[in-house]
Amino acid sequence: MPRLTKPLLLTILLVSAVSCFGQSTTGTVSMSATVSKFVEINSGGAVTLTGNSGGGVTTDGVANSPLAVSINLGELGPSNTNSFVTAQVPLRLRSNASYVLSMTATVTSSGTTSNRIGAADVGFGLGTITRSGSGVNPSGTDTNATSGDPTLAANGSVNATTGRYEFTAVRSNLSAFSSATTALSGPFIMNAVPRSNVNGLSVPAFFAIKPQFFENGTTTISVTFTVTAP
Amino acid sequence: MRFFIFLTLLVFVVGVQTASAQALDISSGGLPTITGSVNGSVTGTANVTGDLVVTINFGEVSPLNTNSVVKVLVPIALRSNQPYQVSVSMSGLTNANSEALQASDVGFGVQNPRLLGGAGQICNQSTHIIRSPFNNDPALSATISGSGRVSYPSTLASLSGPTVILSGPELSKNNSSKRQQSDGWIFDAVFALTPQFFVSGVSSATLIFTISPGPNVPC
Repeated sequence: MPRLTKPLLLTILLVSAVSCFGQSTTGTVSMSATVSKFVEINSGGAVTLTGNSGGGVTTDGVANSPLAVSINLGELGPSNTNSFVTAQVPLRLRSNASYVLSMTATVTSSGTTSNRIGAADVGFGLGTITRSGSGVNPSGTDTNATSGDPTLAANGSVNATTGRYEFTAVRSNLSAFSSATTALSGPFIMNAVPRSNVNGLSVPAFFAIKPQFFENGTTTISVTFTVTAP
Repeated sequence: MRFFIFLTLLVFVVGVQTASAQALDISSGGLPTITGSVNGSVTGTANVTGDLVVTINFGEVSPLNTNSVVKVLVPIALRSNQPYQVSVSMSGLTNANSEALQASDVGFGVQNPRLLGGAGQICNQSTHIIRSPFNNDPALSATISGSGRVSYPSTLASLSGPTVILSGPELSKNNSSKRQQSDGWIFDAVFALTPQFFVSGVSSATLIFTISPGPNVPC
């Protein structure tokens, strides 16, 4: 055996033996965690229905519960002498990232003529946006892509030619939402608080119909809100 | 002749190393566990003679995780033939955005010192002391602060440089030069992280646990 081989083997043997003892004065704990983008939409509370003749809120909203509201707007012909039938649906949004709230609406009427209720006859808008409460990010600007309360005088009028009442402002009726269209967007809503915190961004969604000489029949309006974090 | 000199030196060096090693030792105290996680995991060895090398993945800690808390329990074994102390230092977890995951969002406590088998030393004149503020189970002692954020009695932010978390008298009856299955004490390092609306991203940190000679207390 060459002269250097023996010591080398012994060294390896002894060092290996010591290593097997495995004693150490330090240990390591490595950790990691992932935070994904998160957004949600829930009911912001009870629906307010005004100007209705008959009808009522069939399934009401419950704050911080999934949004699943059903409303019977009642009579929308001239026998309803109120200027508007209006449903105000409170929404609550929460996110840890910038959000976009979009909406898709369909309007289906049993009528067969142009005088039936159509998407353009259903006024829509988002009202005042409120960021308040513990854990809510109060800063940042939310962009309301609608024109607000559709019953405001600035948002609609009687068409001088046809005589039909029209919601004329930008994205002030459901015809603007036949496909997914942004209604509201803004920066992150919630600070670092647990989901059990019930606060968030509150905004009312207004739906309005002007009672008119619509073709008789029944109309179903279906609206889907979707919030995303692009 | 040169070979014998070399061999003698080698034996001496190894002997010194062995004598040093048996005085203070830290190792795995058993299999670490994780609860409340979504896509999380923890790896380590169940063998109490294995090195303390633990990797924790808390998983998803946004509100997508609907559990109330992600809790990780890491048993750590200690051996010594002299008074000891255990310190912890942390690196990483330096998110600039205050709404992102911070060191103060990870609860950290020390619990349940207990004998590791029959050769663990029981001292009557001194006790093992979990240093303030770490004597708590953060998963059980979390509260909501005024801002709405979850807070704990002690967190990773409580570690300011190498921070002593535990000390006490000698831990082992024997003077074995190698780790045994039953010759020391075990304590649990407990970590808790409550899912919250943190700013999105991935965060990581590394903790180094070190055992060293501690205050000279009698056994």
